[in-house]
Amino acid sequence: MLLRFSRQIVDQPITSQIILEKKTPINILSARMNQLGGEILAEIPGDKAQEVIKAFKSKGVIVDVASLIEKDDDLCIDCGACISLCPMDALGFTEDKSVTLDAKKCNGATCGLCVDACTRRALRLLS
Amino acid sequence: MYAASRRNLKLTSNTPDKKRTVAEINEKIRNGDVQVLTISEMKDLVESSGVEVAFKEVDVVTTGTMGAMCSSGALINVGHADPPIKIDKAWINDVPIPHPGAAVDLYIGATIGSETRGFEYGGGHVIEDLIAGKEVELRATAYGTDCYPRTRVETTLTKDDLNQFILLNFRNGYQRYATAVNGRDEAIYTYMGKLLPNFRNATYSGAGELNPLCNDPDYETIGLGTRIFLGGGTGYIIGEGTQHNPKAALGTIMVKGDAKQMTPEYIRGATFSEYGSTIYIGYGVPIPILNEGIVKKVAIRDEDIPSDIVDYGIPRLNKGTLGTTNYKELKTGRVNVNGKSVKVTSVSSLKHAYKICEELKDWIQEAKFYLTKPVETLPTDTVFKPMKVTTETRFVESLIGEAVTCTEDEDVKAVAKRLVEESVNQAIVVDSANELKGIVTAWDITRSVANGNKRLEDIIVRRVYTARLHEPLETASKRMADHDISALPVVDKGNKVLGILTSDAISRLVGGGATG
Ligand code: SF4
Ligand code: SF4
Repeated sequence: MLLRFSRQIVDQPITSQIILEKKTPINILSARMNQLGGEILAEIPGDKAQEVIKAFKSKGVIVDVASLIEKDDDLCIDCGACISLCPMDALGFTEDKSVTLDAKKCNGATCGLCVDACTRRALRLLS
Repeated sequence: MYAASRRNLKLTSNTPDKKRTVAEINEKIRNGDVQVLTISEMKDLVESSGVEVAFKEVDVVTTGTMGAMCSSGALINVGHADPPIKIDKAWINDVPIPHPGAAVDLYIGATIGSETRGFEYGGGHVIEDLIAGKEVELRATAYGTDCYPRTRVETTLTKDDLNQFILLNFRNGYQRYATAVNGRDEAIYTYMGKLLPNFRNATYSGAGELNPLCNDPDYETIGLGTRIFLGGGTGYIIGEGTQHNPKAALGTIMVKGDAKQMTPEYIRGATFSEYGSTIYIGYGVPIPILNEGIVKKVAIRDEDIPSDIVDYGIPRLNKGTLGTTNYKELKTGRVNVNGKSVKVTSVSSLKHAYKICEELKDWIQEAKFYLTKPVETLPTDTVFKPMKVTTETRFVESLIGEAVTCTEDEDVKAVAKRLVEESVNQAIVVDSANELKGIVTAWDITRSVANGNKRLEDIIVRRVYTARLHEPLETASKRMADHDISALPVVDKGNKVLGILTSDAISRLVGGGATG
């Protein structure tokens, strides 16, 4: 998910507060911040997602929950070229070496690292 | 799975000298009692029962791989129009199609991109569409001759309209390949896929122990005339592939096959972003178990097949290696790079490699496929030379200038003075060990003075693009243009500043070259 901090709240330690309050790890994938505001791209464990999103919103943070990535299995040739790019382990092999996408783990549009790595254009952003 | 019949065991144990011929195997195929194993099943059998038993019980093993194989294409003959045309330029679905031969013979090159869709659709996609039975649009122009008066033709074609549709690939099936990583601080797009900065992921290619050539590394049974599974149909090896490099265990093959028999499941157009279009080719080779030596060879395991870890961020031919891994480690999904475990995946399809081994096994068992003895085996002594380049290539080291440096704790004024004295536009910020910390430009200083900002540390640009000493000037100047900057600190591996490369110095070189 993408967290947007406005100028008014950017100097408050909101992220660390929520980590402590909700007792959940928040993995920060990238962050851009200055006095004028900023953005954090982060991942949170699926089971706490709703709760954490609510907490951020209540503190005035704009939360962009990822739109999802879709995989077209007819186009996919199971090459695996996308797998090593995924920071969330959402892409992986099944036992018979088919490549699958676990939408629940995917960070969607806020990540999108795999999309242009797909050799068959089988991975698409769902808007 | 495999079960040896008693009858068969008796038959093979009668074979003298522990040898078997291709003719004998074909006889068994005809009689329906041939023993075929996929290469994976055979490795397990050798491991559990030993070489002797495996030799007795097995006649053929099937190998396979499916990966991006750029040096591929299809030869088509589109027939003559009335009035006839001697094609000069041709396009299929807007992909330029070379015509290296006579009037209506065309070669669809897998890597040629469409003039309207770029890398997204290329020759590989045209071949896939034709194999899938789709209609494609042919457009051709000509200068017109007395015997070929026509100058234009536009038509639609399917594979049924073609006289010949022959897959003809001049290099396929590398025995093994390197593992690619990227040491630059930006993502790069290569023929090994997308590589994240600072060694954050890795990719590899090839099927490892399933690969045909890996299982017959001395090319004892593989060569000109070997009948193979190619793209779902039958094909033939017609010699060594280009860049065949047997001494480095990097053999390749050249193949042909009737594309009309093939299926899109094993022939797929593909795009490597910012690199180009290509084609995935699935092929499989039967290896006849002619003697116990071959049994030992086909028993090779992934851990015995090495792969060099190569930094594709280095824009040079010789990239050196960061270490060696093997296909067993690669297939676990993680590889050790510079002491760190990173995610690695293949850009070839392992799933299809397994499927090809199974399918070819079925064909042989059902007597749909017979083995051939090659007329000539692949050479084992050819060498692969680099290109002889007669024009000089310039590298960063030839234009590196002395850098004006400063440290973070210096006064803005002092730095400004130095810039004026040395008449340069930027100072490189270093620490006491001469390690790169940032850069300040004359413009940054002017702006900071205007804003009343006196502290150097507030105006330092810390995200600095750099150049390397042995990097070609071409890539360094592209980096400057891409990021709209006029200088790059030149650093060594430890990020220590060696000097500076400025766009001024490059312009002077180009200007000088033009007049001198
Ligand atoms: S967008 Fe792709 S790379 Fe990013 S988390 Fe989702 S599946 Fe993984
Ligand atoms: S890169 Fe594309 S084609 Fe290859 S496995 Fe991933 S989704 Fe499938």
